[in-house]
Amino acid sequence: MIAVLGLIVGVVAGILVRPEVPVVVEPYLPIAVVAALDAVFGGLRAMLDGIFDDKVFVVSFLSNVVVAALIVFLGDKLGVGAQLSTGVVVVLGIRIFSNAAAIRRHVFRA
Amino acid sequence: MSTVTGRQRLVQGLWPPRVSRAQLIVAVLLFGLGFGLAVQVASNSNSDSALRGARQEDLVRILDELDDRTQRLEDEKQGLQKQRDELENSSDQAEEARKQTAEKEKQLGILAGTVAAQGPGITMTIDDTKGTVEADMLLDAVQELRAAGAEAIQVNGVRVVANTYLTDSGKSVSVDGNKINAPYRFKVIGKPQDLEPALNIPGGVVQTLEKEQATVTVGRSSKIVVDALRAAKQPDYARSSSR
Repeated sequence: MIAVLGLIVGVVAGILVRPEVPVVVEPYLPIAVVAALDAVFGGLRAMLDGIFDDKVFVVSFLSNVVVAALIVFLGDKLGVGAQLSTGVVVVLGIRIFSNAAAIRRHVFRA
Repeated sequence: MSTVTGRQRLVQGLWPPRVSRAQLIVAVLLFGLGFGLAVQVASNSNSDSALRGARQEDLVRILDELDDRTQRLEDEKQGLQKQRDELENSSDQAEEARKQTAEKEKQLGILAGTVAAQGPGITMTIDDTKGTVEADMLLDAVQELRAAGAEAIQVNGVRVVANTYLTDSGKSVSVDGNKINAPYRFKVIGKPQDLEPALNIPGGVVQTLEKEQATVTVGRSSKIVVDALRAAKQPDYARSSSR
């Protein structure tokens, strides 16, 4: 419950504060958000499976964000930033879908 | 463990709220996620920031495309301007040519007798009570007037032009087939100072006519109107050789 509250508070804070995104972070933020979403869906699935571990969640969340940002950064340096970030989004999207499918099976038993 | 389903675990996690280390840590991370999500959505939905999230290479490409487009539009603009100038010039020239043609038509119309003319000139009235005036005498008068620079002549309502012919017709005279009777009234446009002496020279038109018992009166006028008209006639054989 506290976790869900945290998410809501975060969204509200983001809407209210509307901070200027620093130029340095700008290309990485969307990918980082998608990666974090992937981690959250993974965590939710793990919780429903009964194998949720907060340490694992924290590490996977942070590493997901960092690795996604790193890949985009590397892609930019190599000159294939656009393609690589597309690839990252596709992979994360597939993972989110498969996690969502598992969650759906738990919640709706279907 | 096997009795607890995923759904039950979800419900347990949601309610009642428990403050545990795991919940707090997850809350912090989710706060970060929500924050980032909201910020990204907000910055993306700003209309002016369509280019903000774009990569450098994309920006360079967009800039190149804009440059190309500007160049193309510039070329097109120059072409269209050139075309417009040409059209304006040609319409000016057409207008000028039309004016000149109209002017020329008027001048030629006066010569051909298709338009009325007015200007300074003289009137000459030949009163022939005895019926002695013949066509050749009138022809002499016309020739004399032409030689003196007459520009438009009419006699008794008949315009005298280049191909006018005079014939005797009984006691009177026919001009271009139109029978006219005395008194013969000439209306002549030209320089009065030239025309009048030309008629009055010794042995000239006036003296010859007076010898035939006709009375001739010549008067100058600053405004003579020659309004007898003649239909324009398309030549049957002659064609303009100039283009």
